[in-house]
Amino acid sequence: MAKRERTLQSIPPGAGAPAGPEADDLLALVARGDEAAFERLYDVVSAPVFGLVRRVVRDQAQSEEVFQEVMLEVWRTATRFDPGRGRAMTWILTLTHRRAVDRVRSAQAASTREEHAARLDPHRPFDEVSEQVSGRLEQRQVRRCLSFLTGLQRESVVLAYYQGYSYPEVASLLGLPLGTVKTRMRDGLIRLRDCMGVTG
Amino acid sequence: MRSTSADLHTLTGAYALNALSGPERTAFETHLARCESCATEVAELTATAARLGAAVEFAPPAHLKDRVLAAAAETRQLSPHTPRLPRPRGLGRAGGALLAAACLVAVAFVAVEVSGSGRDDQLAQLSSQYGRFSDLLTTPDARIFTGTGTNGATGTAVMSPSRNEMLFLGKDLPSPSGDRVYQLWMVNGEGPHSAGVLSSPTAPIVANGIPGAERVALTLEPRGGSPVPTGDPVVEIKLA
Repeated sequence: MAKRERTLQSIPPGAGAPAGPEADDLLALVARGDEAAFERLYDVVSAPVFGLVRRVVRDQAQSEEVFQEVMLEVWRTATRFDPGRGRAMTWILTLTHRRAVDRVRSAQAASTREEHAARLDPHRPFDEVSEQVSGRLEQRQVRRCLSFLTGLQRESVVLAYYQGYSYPEVASLLGLPLGTVKTRMRDGLIRLRDCMGVTG
Repeated sequence: MRSTSADLHTLTGAYALNALSGPERTAFETHLARCESCATEVAELTATAARLGAAVEFAPPAHLKDRVLAAAAETRQLSPHTPRLPRPRGLGRAGGALLAAACLVAVAFVAVEVSGSGRDDQLAQLSSQYGRFSDLLTTPDARIFTGTGTNGATGTAVMSPSRNEMLFLGKDLPSPSGDRVYQLWMVNGEGPHSAGVLSSPTAPIVANGIPGAERVALTLEPRGGSPVPTGDPVVEIKLA
């Protein structure tokens, strides 16, 4: 871990912010019904959207379904995007994550999920993130910043976000009280925010 | 109440990670609307979570692009107003069989809203809101349910299981006293879940994200709403 931190230390905070102003400009055009802009927006955001859906949903056929729903919802609800309240990419990926999580929560009965949770090695998600790291700056930055979290902060954040678990599920998985998990999630995200230089 | 508020505040992280259940999310969003410092923190933490999302990018199969673009070309965009409640979901498709029912609700809605005071801005708001409802009303599986309550009040609910979305509209609801509001509940096997507070007795409300709802109930609650219903239902509608 220490070696990994050192090798990635040179990346400045804020470098590699995902899909910058381009997505914001395109989404504004999409809100006015511009289909050509929607096609360009698709090219910019489809890989992050599909990657996130696939990570949470896992099943390829279902991931493709959810992905199409999300993209169409971006088209339908672009008119409701308020640039004063955040970036386009944040808005799109928040919507994506909710849809993906809704899909896995409705698809699996609670008991099945618990069994699944019990079998799951909590270290796996972060390792998978690490494995997928390529030359992309944001991936390297996420990996670097995750490595600055305490173990419990990182596991709480990663299990909730990449596996789509609710905080009670994360608590039972990690054998922690609910209140502890809530604060680990918040503290972990705050530390990530500061490391990434996110300003909202 | 203070401890509840503090508890809610620590949920900013879980909320940004989408790790809350439906009812908790609703309660938190109600709190969020009144808490400026929470809103700032949530915006920052949500943006942070999105960065985790952007880090796992993976190109979708190429053939999906044409499908998405073709679907967009046939899909009406929502009217540009800011919704008070969480996003609508699902793919809207025209459903001829529901047209009559849709008109019925639209007329009821117009009658209720406009009879209060016929101002132009209300009409403008009405038409933009109607745009939102028409998406729900034209969903093929949308169904209409009605119920009556005390003092001749009635309620109409349009429910779409595929969109997991419901529109509620009350009629002839008595005006609550100054410190009370109408709060809508969706009741499923786990009990009642808040679907939000009516901004006025004639205001429609759209709720979503509460699967398996069997009943809808409207109660009078202290201003700001309650975490669980404290009064008897003023109107109750069975969703079956």
